[in-house]
Amino acid sequence: MKISKIATADPASRLDNNAKLINEKGLLWRLTDRASETRGKMFIYSSALLMIVAVIAITLFLMIQGLRAFVVDHLNFWTFITGTQWYPDRTVNPSYGAFPFIFGSMAVTFLAALIATPIAIGTAIFMAELAKKWGTKVMQPVIEILVGIPSVVYGLIGLSIIVPFMRQHFGGSGFNLLAGAIVVGIMILPTVASIAADSIRAVPDSLRQASYAIGATKWQTIWRVVIPAAGSSLVTAIVLGMSRAFGEALAVQMVIGNVTKLPGSIFDPSATLTTIITLSMGHSTMGSVLNDALWSLGFLLLLISYVFIVIIRFLSRRRNA
Amino acid sequence: MIQMEKNIVSFNNTVDVEEMPVQISVENVNIYYGENHAVKDVNLPIHEKSITALIGPSGCGKSTFIRTINRMNDLIPGARCEGSLLYKDVNILNPKVDVVQLRKEIGMVFQQPNPFPKSISENIQLPLRFAGVRNKKTLNQVTEDCLKQVGLWDEVKDRLDRSALGLSGGQQQRLCIARALALKPDVILLDEPTSALDPVSSAKIEELLLELKNSYTIVIVTHNMQQAARIADYTAFFYQGELIEFGKTKTLFTNPEKKSTADYISGRFG
Repeated sequence: MKISKIATADPASRLDNNAKLINEKGLLWRLTDRASETRGKMFIYSSALLMIVAVIAITLFLMIQGLRAFVVDHLNFWTFITGTQWYPDRTVNPSYGAFPFIFGSMAVTFLAALIATPIAIGTAIFMAELAKKWGTKVMQPVIEILVGIPSVVYGLIGLSIIVPFMRQHFGGSGFNLLAGAIVVGIMILPTVASIAADSIRAVPDSLRQASYAIGATKWQTIWRVVIPAAGSSLVTAIVLGMSRAFGEALAVQMVIGNVTKLPGSIFDPSATLTTIITLSMGHSTMGSVLNDALWSLGFLLLLISYVFIVIIRFLSRRRNA
Repeated sequence: MIQMEKNIVSFNNTVDVEEMPVQISVENVNIYYGENHAVKDVNLPIHEKSITALIGPSGCGKSTFIRTINRMNDLIPGARCEGSLLYKDVNILNPKVDVVQLRKEIGMVFQQPNPFPKSISENIQLPLRFAGVRNKKTLNQVTEDCLKQVGLWDEVKDRLDRSALGLSGGQQQRLCIARALALKPDVILLDEPTSALDPVSSAKIEELLLELKNSYTIVIVTHNMQQAARIADYTAFFYQGELIEFGKTKTLFTNPEKKSTADYISGRFG
């Protein structure tokens, strides 16, 4: 009974009998009518467009500014990136060798990754494999808090704990490359741990069952089955952490000593691309050679960040393949 | 009705040959998931070097039961088992049982083929490595033996170092069976091993199981009654957590004692 009622519903009872199938309303109507999708579409499309334009604009702006040092000021690109003498203030024969900063950035990044990776992966295994309930209820919020702590706080802690420790045990001022790497390593730890935990959770349970079913212990399952299966996404977590370490300026600047010479060991003070930019940008005049050289460092920083992104993309594509 | 049954199923003809000794004796087994009483007071013998099929509609407790035999239910929080599963004079449910060793003797194959995302040979060698075998020669020999046993050797011998994920579903499932054979277990448990496969691959697996039962005790959960009829020596019919009927496959299918068994195998419900 009911079904036949619906089937024979009177077409005249439709809400709007004058609705036309052909839409020939003008732009003005489409922008003002409530039922139109045009405004929403325009908002969404323009947001996306703005994003793309911003990225291109930043890259272009940095490129134009960054190339000034070589085009306008005639610095040699090769001596710029390989030179070890950074004396922009010398009135006679100033020299712009950025290699110590490139080296400093790389050293801080890799040392930080070296410090953070084992701890982060260990934490991730604990959270995702061993104490699943506790991991999601307690560890996850703790890690989110750690991610949210501003980098200046990490810098302050480094300044008041790690630097005095270094001074006592390794001599010198206590400000050094290792202190910077430790501070940044601790800083990226929660990021790496939470992404690594996600990638371990993403390993299908069927693999764990398969492993237990062939007489594997819990540790054998974790080390020989789960970790290799999570594989490239764990590497992605580490690379993501490294890209964060590479871009960090403030916390590093507070503990690294900011010496423009190439460090002889990890216990020597040094500087990174980011710290030298934040330190020198304020007292250089726009258009001066030093200012242009700093822009070049910024451009270099951007290029290396892009390399990190390409690596992450490559790894995640391989994972999905 | 029973007449019709005879026409559509062909039976495994070896059933009447001889009664094999009991390998696992199941006595008064009860399984709970929290408050849910999933398996109720099950008693049945599992005979050595025979195929025992567990049939029944979805949610009848047959998968829960098979997972208890090698204590895979331990992995499910809140699962609790009572009763006795006597194997080699030991109650499998005893908390002191070394489950790692138990699973080396009672292997398992799952519904979805689940090879490790590693090479074909590593898939078979991993159980051996877990057991502490390091010798390259032994590892390679076992790989070859196991792959030959499941009839996969000729198909994959040229690509042993390629990823197992590149195999077809049926090949992956046979690889999983080969992996379960690597440690030469006494018992192999199969939880609906063919339900994710096409008919040709399923037929191959059935053929394989008939061959394997000469050396191994096999317990198989299946949704497919024809499959049970074709390969099993003994069949257990589960319904709503209870073991309704257990017996030789031929007897159970042609002359069931209980009405619900008859209804289920004739397709009246399930």
